[in-house]
Amino acid sequence: MTDNSSNAPTAMERFIQGILPENPTYRQLLGLCPTLAVTNGLKAALTMAAATGFVLLCANVMTSLIRGLLKPHLRIVVFTLTIATFVTIADRFLAAYLYDMSKTLGPYIPLIIVNCIIICRCEVCASKQSVWVSASDAVGQSLGFALGLSSIAIVREILGTGMIFQFRILPVQWPDWVIMVLPPGAFFTFGLLLAVVNRLTEPGKK
Amino acid sequence: MNYIIDITLIALSAAIINNFVFYYFVGICPFIGVSRKVDLAFGMGCAVTFVICIAAFISWTFTAYILMPGAPLSSWIAGFFTSPEQAAGIDLSILSYIVYIFAIASSVQFVEMYLRKAFPMLYKSFGVFLPLITTNCAILFACLTIMSKVAGAENPAEAWDLGRALTLAFFGGVGFTISIVIMSGIREELELCDVPKPFRGAAITLIIGGIMAMAFTGFTGVDAGLKKAMTQEKPVVQAVMKEKSMEKGSAL
Amino acid sequence: MDWIRENKIMQAWLVLTIALFFGAMLAGVQIKLGPTIEKNRRNETLEKVPALVLGKEGADKMAAENRPPLITPSTITVDKIGRKVYYNVYAVRDKGELKGYGIKTNGQGYADRIELLFGLNPTLDKITGLFILEQKETPGLGNKIVTDEWRSQFVDIPSFPALKVIKGKASTSGEIEAITGATISSRAVTDIINSAVSDLHQPLMNAKDN
Repeated sequence: MTDNSSNAPTAMERFIQGILPENPTYRQLLGLCPTLAVTNGLKAALTMAAATGFVLLCANVMTSLIRGLLKPHLRIVVFTLTIATFVTIADRFLAAYLYDMSKTLGPYIPLIIVNCIIICRCEVCASKQSVWVSASDAVGQSLGFALGLSSIAIVREILGTGMIFQFRILPVQWPDWVIMVLPPGAFFTFGLLLAVVNRLTEPGKK
Repeated sequence: MNYIIDITLIALSAAIINNFVFYYFVGICPFIGVSRKVDLAFGMGCAVTFVICIAAFISWTFTAYILMPGAPLSSWIAGFFTSPEQAAGIDLSILSYIVYIFAIASSVQFVEMYLRKAFPMLYKSFGVFLPLITTNCAILFACLTIMSKVAGAENPAEAWDLGRALTLAFFGGVGFTISIVIMSGIREELELCDVPKPFRGAAITLIIGGIMAMAFTGFTGVDAGLKKAMTQEKPVVQAVMKEKSMEKGSAL
Repeated sequence: MDWIRENKIMQAWLVLTIALFFGAMLAGVQIKLGPTIEKNRRNETLEKVPALVLGKEGADKMAAENRPPLITPSTITVDKIGRKVYYNVYAVRDKGELKGYGIKTNGQGYADRIELLFGLNPTLDKITGLFILEQKETPGLGNKIVTDEWRSQFVDIPSFPALKVIKGKASTSGEIEAITGATISSRAVTDIINSAVSDLHQPLMNAKDN
């Protein structure tokens, strides 16, 4: 087992790393498909982040529980099966209790199966470290993902409709920048915010 | 004739009007990651198209015959264990996502083996990107669209047959190839430009992607207009009314 | 745990156990949530029908008195040259008396399909209301077809002659004002309603006489 080595990150470190320094959206550039697709409203973005977080947590815990028990190519099979099962459960849950959100998010919930965040975290962390560390890694990464999604969603929704969650933020005279809630707006917002984050996290100089 | 019109509209819609990358936001990871050189991008596009077609074929077959509510094969097998009415209502659609992802994984394996035999140079230049096609959202998205049109169709006669499913898959892949090749062409030119430091890499690619998405938005509504032009509406010939069999007193 | 990893039989058993565990979880989810999901799907349409046919006050009154109307769903297939078109018709009856029909249909909008539900009175000559079930029109423009304001134009208007969309102020009740900047979406909705009304006239008349 490799989780007893002294330089493996601890649970707390994993948790903190996931939120900003190793943010899945802005630093690792993982899970870009939902980032662009569901961020035209804050409610949809948060629901997606919650669903991804649920699947990531369960998948991480499951993978960590059976780490070292399976040969490599069987590991991939079980791993895929795990993610697909939990995504199915999350999808059914949403369809039963949050039917409107389920219809808005549509095919993007099952696309969590191929969300690179989950696959990457399971490979990097869960298959090597204990259940507790993997769980906190999952929670940290999910929070980071939620942060990334909501930052884009807030910009798009305010500029595009002037409202958040039915609360009017900008005055009624604001001409809604409809392009913000359309596909091009997703690309522009994310690109500009990414440039801002790159600029802010530049090491010192300039 | 109507079938051909239908197929043409599905093809046009999947490739250009509702382009997988610019309208549905699937396949963004390779769009940003692999689009640096034109020949690599074109190869990736072709590989993805190939995989989508195989995966779509497998998904359609499974959905139509095994997974959808009341599918023929499952109800026949269930008929051995339970009463006919219960067997006809069997619904295995909860296993859909698992079946699809395994179909995709197998298709990628198959394409990998084929490329290694037939195009070894291309296989080498792909490197790690080939197995990564499994995580390409575009393929799973095509399978999900097919599922919603086959199992989720309100009226069973409007459910998609294999031809429509494969058309969507193939032309979806073509649309993905178009977008990734255009982007790689632009990025090759971009190498010679002076991009500000924060924008280098993914950020400028996204902004260019946004401009391209704006361009593709211009195609909205083309399929509606084409459909109107190609199908002439004639008056009603005959109509048949059929009461759906629901329990008595199906009040709210 | 190396012995588990090296032993092929143990590997097979392990994968089988995991697969069965997941299968049990999925079966549990299906059994517990399946009915709720079905109910959501049906209610989406059915709960709108009374308000569309009887008007909001009529529907509220019936709900308050706890005698919900009897809704009979049926499918009408109309044969147009070369293709069949399907309409879902919900007949609303109160104490055996036909109060009207709710008709669910869809058609091509500006960006994608528009699915809508509209009400017809028993004599098929008045449209009693409109509800948009699904649309993907341009947000802020064509999107406005879902607003109460625009849809209120469809309450108690004659169904013959066909509805017309005009820009600017409507003068007669057969005219619908287009949404500024979204004429195509507005026209799409009226086209869908017009074809449904003309297609269903004969079948519904026949059904009533039986």
